[in-house]
Amino acid sequence: MSDAHLVLEALEKRFGAGPPAVAALSLAVQKGELLGLLGPSGCGKTTTLRMIGGLAEATAGRILVAGHDVTTLPPHKRDMGIVFQNYALFPHMDVAGNVAFGLEMRKQSRAEIAAKVERALAMVHLDGLGHRRPRELSGGQQQRVALARALVIEPSILLLDEPLSNLDAKLREEMRTEIRDIQKRLGITTIFVTHDQVEALAMCDRIAVMRAGSLEQLGTPFDIYESPATPFVADFVGRINRLDGARDGDGDILAGPLRLRAAKPGPAGRVTVMMRPHRLHIATDAIGPEWNSAAGTIRRATYVGDVLACEVDCAGAMLTVERHTHPGQPIPREGEAVNLAWRVSDTLAFDA
Amino acid sequence: MGKALFHVLVAAMLVFLLAPVLLVIPMSFSADKVLAWPPSGFSLKWYAAMLEERGLAEAARNSLVLALVVTTATLAIAMPAALAIDRWRFAGRDAILALLTAPLLLPTIVLALALLIIFVGAGLLGTWPGLVLAHMLVTLPYGVRVLSTSLSTLPASVEEAAASLGAPPSSVFRRVTLPLMVPGLVATCAIVFLVSFDEVVISLFIVGPQLVTLPVALFRYVESRTDPLVAAVSTLLVVFTLAIVLILDRAVGLRRAVGK
Repeated sequence: MSDAHLVLEALEKRFGAGPPAVAALSLAVQKGELLGLLGPSGCGKTTTLRMIGGLAEATAGRILVAGHDVTTLPPHKRDMGIVFQNYALFPHMDVAGNVAFGLEMRKQSRAEIAAKVERALAMVHLDGLGHRRPRELSGGQQQRVALARALVIEPSILLLDEPLSNLDAKLREEMRTEIRDIQKRLGITTIFVTHDQVEALAMCDRIAVMRAGSLEQLGTPFDIYESPATPFVADFVGRINRLDGARDGDGDILAGPLRLRAAKPGPAGRVTVMMRPHRLHIATDAIGPEWNSAAGTIRRATYVGDVLACEVDCAGAMLTVERHTHPGQPIPREGEAVNLAWRVSDTLAFDA
Repeated sequence: MGKALFHVLVAAMLVFLLAPVLLVIPMSFSADKVLAWPPSGFSLKWYAAMLEERGLAEAARNSLVLALVVTTATLAIAMPAALAIDRWRFAGRDAILALLTAPLLLPTIVLALALLIIFVGAGLLGTWPGLVLAHMLVTLPYGVRVLSTSLSTLPASVEEAAASLGAPPSSVFRRVTLPLMVPGLVATCAIVFLVSFDEVVISLFIVGPQLVTLPVALFRYVESRTDPLVAAVSTLLVVFTLAIVLILDRAVGLRRAVGK
């Protein structure tokens, strides 16, 4: 905690009356770490980013950068590079002018600025496009300009506000690795706001899942995906099957017609059981004691090329099973009776 | 068939709108002594006569100076007003915007009478300050409206980006906000200038014997004489107005400058 580069202490933002947009948010980000703020729209992730960047005023709490309190500093004194969702390029300046702006504000010499702008544009593969206007560039190119503009000032912290959401799927994946590569190479502490769980899992060192202004879970992509702290996190990050049930004194869970065991024990009472669809199997062999099982009927089979998803009706409990496709394996028919099996260790139970 | 009818309708409307203006041009080259159609012959003598008319020349100079002063003063007030209205959410913001638009909705003659009553007491009748104030009452709503429209189309994130790159508020305004407002500013200048330059109803009440504007002078000229000299002046005014509109269009694109 003491050597963290960026620290948020009980940060709060209220807009008028009503519940706060961000409530008592505490986070510590290590130097060079890429931390994702992940959550549905309205969860306060962008507001948090804006408070870190000084674009929104915190109504309570503190923001520390390298031990210094920056909570009340105006944005132009915070030394943070921000990439906006709509890129926010200066339409009246060419690409080089956009990238040079921050350096000019820092009163650097013309020769120095020219050299740095050239290097920054090369870094984002835009060499030779310095004289284009932003509107003459494609979305992906504009995004690169925005990134170069934010990075050329060598900010202490890089803030990315849904930078990929306006790009098409293919370009988004490309930029994902590119941004991550540059971020790692420069070793710059980065906050990355996104509502896309795949983006967050693929890019971040750690992910802070937010819900209704509060931190729901903070952890590595692996932690978040494999050991979600709450049903909300399990549901938001990745697809999941959800059953409501009750745990009896023996630790067995009764969910409708199913009797299941979960990865972790817990007290008797109401529970929510969750399983990832791709951890469920259509069983062909006998199963061991470390497995849960259910018999059912296929109601629907959806083939999307690489993945086959089957909705299985297990005496009223609907479970989705996903598996990768093979040319040799037939696509199950609707109405076919199947046995489902999944590991006890893949069965998450949350006390309701 | 429907399309042909539509074209005829549009053509008819254009003729209806433009015919009176265009008619003035051939009449200005008339060789006759009175305004009559068609002219019996053509000459440039009314253009020559116009240059001899001292009163009109002075009125034209007055109108030009007045329009320039009004434009400058309107910008000086409308610019901060538009910034405040667009950027801050303060109590009474909508009321102020409504108040600033009200003069556009009132009949001009009512405004003129009200001004006359107030200006008599204040000793502003027939004075430069009086005329400037009276015109600004009409031009300010235009100025604030056009400027706040152009401001509202600027994405706030562009200014935030500038701030995050180290620009203090003054630099953000100078390097980002102001350059992006240029189309709006040019449009405001042109509209305000033309409104002031053409204003006749209010001016008619405010001008004095020592201070007359061109539209008022023309109005009075036509009352006493009916020679084609007014047509010559009108033709020049049409050309002058067209020039401003053309410059505006070339500079910023008319549609972008006036419309949302």
